[in-house]
Amino acid sequence: MRFRLFLGLAAALLVLTGCSGGAAAPPPVRAPSSAPEFNAADVMFLQMMIPHHEQGVEIVRLARDHQVRPAVAELAAAIEATQRSEAEDMKGWLRDWGQPATADASAHAGHGGMPMTSPDLIGALKSAPGAEFERRFLDILAGHQHQAVEMSQTETSTGKNPAARDLAHRIVESRTAEIKQLLGYTTT
Amino acid sequence: MTWKRKLGAAAAGAALAPLIVVALPAAVASAHGYISSPPSRQAMCAQGRVPNCGDIIYEPQSVEGPKGLRSCNGGEGRFEQLNDESKPWPATSVGKSVSFNWIITARHATTTWEYYIGGTRLAVFNDHGRQPGATVQHTVDMGSFTGRQKLLAIWNIADTANAFYACVDLQIGGGGPTTPPTTPPTTPPTTPPTTPPTTTTPPTGGTWAAGTAYQPGAEVTYNGATYKCLQAHTAIPGWEPSSTPALWQKL
Repeated sequence: MRFRLFLGLAAALLVLTGCSGGAAAPPPVRAPSSAPEFNAADVMFLQMMIPHHEQGVEIVRLARDHQVRPAVAELAAAIEATQRSEAEDMKGWLRDWGQPATADASAHAGHGGMPMTSPDLIGALKSAPGAEFERRFLDILAGHQHQAVEMSQTETSTGKNPAARDLAHRIVESRTAEIKQLLGYTTT
Repeated sequence: MTWKRKLGAAAAGAALAPLIVVALPAAVASAHGYISSPPSRQAMCAQGRVPNCGDIIYEPQSVEGPKGLRSCNGGEGRFEQLNDESKPWPATSVGKSVSFNWIITARHATTTWEYYIGGTRLAVFNDHGRQPGATVQHTVDMGSFTGRQKLLAIWNIADTANAFYACVDLQIGGGGPTTPPTTPPTTPPTTPPTTPPTTTTPPTGGTWAAGTAYQPGAEVTYNGATYKCLQAHTAIPGWEPSSTPALWQKL
């Protein structure tokens, strides 16, 4: 809740200051004055990816108060930091474009629903017994990041906006590398 | 290399863009999943333990083909490497009873899960059309099989004609040596850095490089600029300092 509030405030601040990206390093996006170039695929990508990122943050935060290896905890913390930052950027772009932050839920009905990790599974993960937690955490997080790769591959082939396409490219690269690390921890 | 290939695919796709927009929902509808441990061949590829696997490293969960096949690649030509017995597939040492863990990225209704060694079906689990969780675990008895074996696991989807395939190389019953597991990049234990450490003297200079473990305060150069690390992490492609203000502060 506090996180959402924080994001909302951050996004509102971005709009007020006319800045379209994160405060620390604005991504290469045109100033709001010039018409931003985007298509429906860009909008859908962002509308799907923002909640997916937030859910990813919810998953990786579980590593804070469960027993995991230090290296796993470090990876989880770095994923949390990067995905929070990316979510802020994405929300800013949708605002700049005058597009709603979320899609109608029925928009995804045609393809089996939004590819999310369901809340009941995250609830079950929370209460996983000590030794069991890390293995399930690694598998669930890897699966979640696979979904992000799939959605981003769709954006890189059908999206138009340069900033969104660049983010999608970086998500494919970074999540593939994250999964590589997660699978490495799974089997050792 | 792979990126170039993707660019090519994207360029080819651009011509079909109007069609893709219409076809998109169906394209995304496919269920996905694979065995993470003991690592399946696609998991071995995705974690870099077996090199030169091709596209499978981006989508180990996508080994999908018609039901009834007995091949590691599910008949999918672009994943042909999974059938390549000359590749150095490490065999995981297991006992007589093995727990297989699946990563599921799309939870589609399931008929059965099958486990084969050669022509012998070791086990079948019938889900009667239920939707699986984000992870699935089955414990399978290896029967009389010993030594190095290639196990084929099949996830049969209820509402499509397809199944997902995963081969797992096993060394059953201890016995012979297997390829030692590669140790993942270990980084020293850290607590989330709420405040920047004051005592450590980070390595100065140096060009940012994927695979390097960076601690808060470390400085690197990237594309001619200098950055300071804000958050402990091991650098990976896609987390370049210029695009990750959460990890790096430009100086």
